[in-house]
Amino acid sequence: MKVKMLCRDPNDYVRETKKDIFKMPRNYDSSLHPLEVPREYSRALNSTKLERVFAKPFLGSLDGHKDGVHALCKHPTQLSILLSGACDGEIKIWNLAERKCLQTYIAHDGFVRGICMNPSASMFLSCGNDKIIKHWSYDPLSKSKSCDAIQTIVGKTFYTSIDHHFKKPVYATSGERVDVWDINHLEPVKSYSWGVDSHYSTKFSPVEHNILASAAADRSVILYDIRQSVPMRKVVLAMSSNQICWNPLEAMIFTVANEDHNLYTFDMRKLDCPLQVHKDHVGAVMALDYSPTGKQFVSASYDKTIRIFEANNGHSREVYHTKRMQHVMAIKWSLDDKYIISGSDEMNIRMWKAQAAEKLGLMKPREREQLEYGEKLKEKFKYFPQIKTIKRHRHLPRPVYNAIKENRIIKASRQRKEANRRAHSKPGTVPFVAEKKKAVVDEQE
Amino acid sequence: MSQKSRFFNSKQPKSRINVDKRDLNNIMNDVAFAQSGFLEKEDENEVINQRSIVENVDLFSAQKYFELNLDKFGPYRLNYTRNGRHLLIGGSQGHVASFDWQTKKLHSEINVMEKINDVKWLHTETMYAVAQRQWTYIYDNQGIELHCLKILDRVTRLEFLPYHFLLSSINECGYLSYIDVSLGKKVAGFSTAHGRCDVMGQNPTNAIIHLGHHNGVVTLWSPNVKEPLVKMLCHKAAVKSLAVNQTGNYMITSSLDHLLNVWDLRTYKQLKSIKLNAGASSLAFSQKNLIAAGLRNEVVIFKDDFIKLNEEEIEAEEQYIEDMTPNDIYLKHRINNANIQNLQFCPFEDVLGVGHSYGISSLLVPGSAEANFDAMEANPYESKNQRKQWEVKALLEKIQPELISLDPFKLKQVDRKTLEEKMIERNKKLFLKPKKIDFEPRLKMKGKSKTGKKEARKKAVKAANLKEFVKEVKEYERIENEENKNKEKKEENTVYNVFDRFKKKSK
Repeated sequence: MKVKMLCRDPNDYVRETKKDIFKMPRNYDSSLHPLEVPREYSRALNSTKLERVFAKPFLGSLDGHKDGVHALCKHPTQLSILLSGACDGEIKIWNLAERKCLQTYIAHDGFVRGICMNPSASMFLSCGNDKIIKHWSYDPLSKSKSCDAIQTIVGKTFYTSIDHHFKKPVYATSGERVDVWDINHLEPVKSYSWGVDSHYSTKFSPVEHNILASAAADRSVILYDIRQSVPMRKVVLAMSSNQICWNPLEAMIFTVANEDHNLYTFDMRKLDCPLQVHKDHVGAVMALDYSPTGKQFVSASYDKTIRIFEANNGHSREVYHTKRMQHVMAIKWSLDDKYIISGSDEMNIRMWKAQAAEKLGLMKPREREQLEYGEKLKEKFKYFPQIKTIKRHRHLPRPVYNAIKENRIIKASRQRKEANRRAHSKPGTVPFVAEKKKAVVDEQE
Repeated sequence: MSQKSRFFNSKQPKSRINVDKRDLNNIMNDVAFAQSGFLEKEDENEVINQRSIVENVDLFSAQKYFELNLDKFGPYRLNYTRNGRHLLIGGSQGHVASFDWQTKKLHSEINVMEKINDVKWLHTETMYAVAQRQWTYIYDNQGIELHCLKILDRVTRLEFLPYHFLLSSINECGYLSYIDVSLGKKVAGFSTAHGRCDVMGQNPTNAIIHLGHHNGVVTLWSPNVKEPLVKMLCHKAAVKSLAVNQTGNYMITSSLDHLLNVWDLRTYKQLKSIKLNAGASSLAFSQKNLIAAGLRNEVVIFKDDFIKLNEEEIEAEEQYIEDMTPNDIYLKHRINNANIQNLQFCPFEDVLGVGHSYGISSLLVPGSAEANFDAMEANPYESKNQRKQWEVKALLEKIQPELISLDPFKLKQVDRKTLEEKMIERNKKLFLKPKKIDFEPRLKMKGKSKTGKKEARKKAVKAANLKEFVKEVKEYERIENEENKNKEKKEENTVYNVFDRFKKKSK
């Protein structure tokens, strides 16, 4: 007879000292792990609930401005530095990590409309309603805290925005015309107009450096190449746009924040139909900013909320609001993809997490693995009704909630009316128009 | 290195996965692999008993063979924890003891002064349930009574579903109840309508409760359905015992007619039927599919290839009752004069626990257990802290009782319309009745509204309505016929392949 019993040496399974980690032998035989699917489902449900429990996006506010904040500017290399401009003409430099104001400049008479920094971060520029462009030196190491501009340019008309070229010492302003300036000259190098009396915003493309886009008051979005003397093309929308933002990774893509509560993502080569219409806001969208990955963007609205959209999705994945936040006028997505900074009418600058439920700070590998596993499970079971409802649920301020409800009724009524009209008229006279194309009025070259 | 010669290419490693041998050795050293046990006879007639095994194995394993003589309180029922470390025994006369059977350390020992029908561990070794004469009680590991569950009265058998935290029980009236032990609430309760029942088992893969009844029927229950999910006529006499294996594919049943039947739970077909010397009072499956049967005073353990069948037998469909042959038997053990009450293989140890009228015996069965446990599921070597953490996690991941169903993978499948629903929808379309119309002809002047004319007008309208309806149905049928024809045509048009003769012929 040959016989052997199953025999384990306990030393192989028990940790030697109390400081060791526990030994966890694994056996992936499926018969030892019964009920795999329902267990995973329960885990997915738990992690979905926990995500909503931990969704506390508001990090803090920076107060100090004496009027509404209408302009924000990120430092191109330092994450903790932020510049903000208010309606009383003040510009403040903030340290976000310490939540302290580093310096204050009395810059303009009336609104500060735009601030931008040059790529080497040695200076920043500002413009305002007082028809003045100012150049300021930025040197965090210098001890002299002089509050004087190094250059002051008095223009003929007011300025609504300013943006610096990503490579060259060139910047662009918008106002009655779109002007391109050389940093060393007091007169614009180029000046564009296309039958428009004013522009709201202008932005350089971060990938194709010489491409410039501007949103004009005649409801159009105009594209320029600063190497040419005339504008390239323009698209006219149903209502005017407030701001433009280029996708930082996809050269052709830009998004505009529109007065009609929507955002439109366009491909520069094909302006007759937007790639995507982003709906959800119930007030005019005032500002937007792309995340550095180009996958998402954040928008600020007159309805006192901030929404985060996936770049290829028509509806927002997240909405942020507080009781005290008023009309949000400026928004920025930090360059480490983790934070969102908003400036609003009630003089505060607020910091938010880009992922509402994300844990900040260092994580142990086990914790991170656990979270990643939860993410995967949520992905796997995302279409289950219970999980879907929990994941989608957001609390909204009552006015926004009611407005959404009302919009739904309005939309249904319009659709009904159109269907009725179609049913009672000669076939073909009431054509079907895609939702995307409704907003585009005209495209010109 | 601009020029890549043949020599250069040959030097490159073929696969991209490049494991250093030293790394592999380190990995192997880090994880302990236990070898499962085995038993080989030198010749077929060799008699192997417990004594000869004990003499031939190492000292540590030999200790696992022991007997407890408790002749005053028997017959005994026993239960191992899920990690196989702790043993709970309950004598019918009221003696309950829980202990770590490997170190022989006693946790608690009490006498409940009442008849005991069954004992079961709950999710950890700190709590157990005892089905007593009148009520069911929950005790902790010191023997302190935690709860008296008056909703579970005169319970004969208990089962605990560890992932759902459900304690299910069947009582003398054949009433099946489920209690959520994490909330203390009753989840469901049904009358089985088969009378007294004391044969209960669970399928570990889908948490379905199996009940064996006196008329030879085995019923399968989930807490969500009032009726049994499946009714199987397994025997022509009362079912005495049943067991389901760890993969949930096989069930064995025994009955008063001395038969031991093996069932495939995927097809609900009988695989084998064997005539034993007596009706097995108790059955158990080991993790490696050994089958233990308690026949009067004898424990018989069958080989694991006992349930493996050659395909001819399945094809034949007619089942022959075979006699038990010595070839099928792996081990035998006799306990003099005793009556075997309960059997359970210890998880992760080559040990079979036997509860009988004179106490309990722990027998050595080499090769019965899974050698490598998963510490995330059940860890025989877990510390107190680990156990506490595991308990919290397990409670968080508790599966809701609504998710219990015959197919545990159902949740993962695509939600297609069932055939049944489709049929109902189809039937609705074909056998629609024409809409009833309530037509009252208008009053017309000059003799046109006489009763006869009125009726004629009514009839005409109804006939027109019917005609239109028949037209619709005919049109629908025509379209369907055409579709069928097109399908057939397509099938005809396909080129005959040589391999087509191996295809199943459609009837």
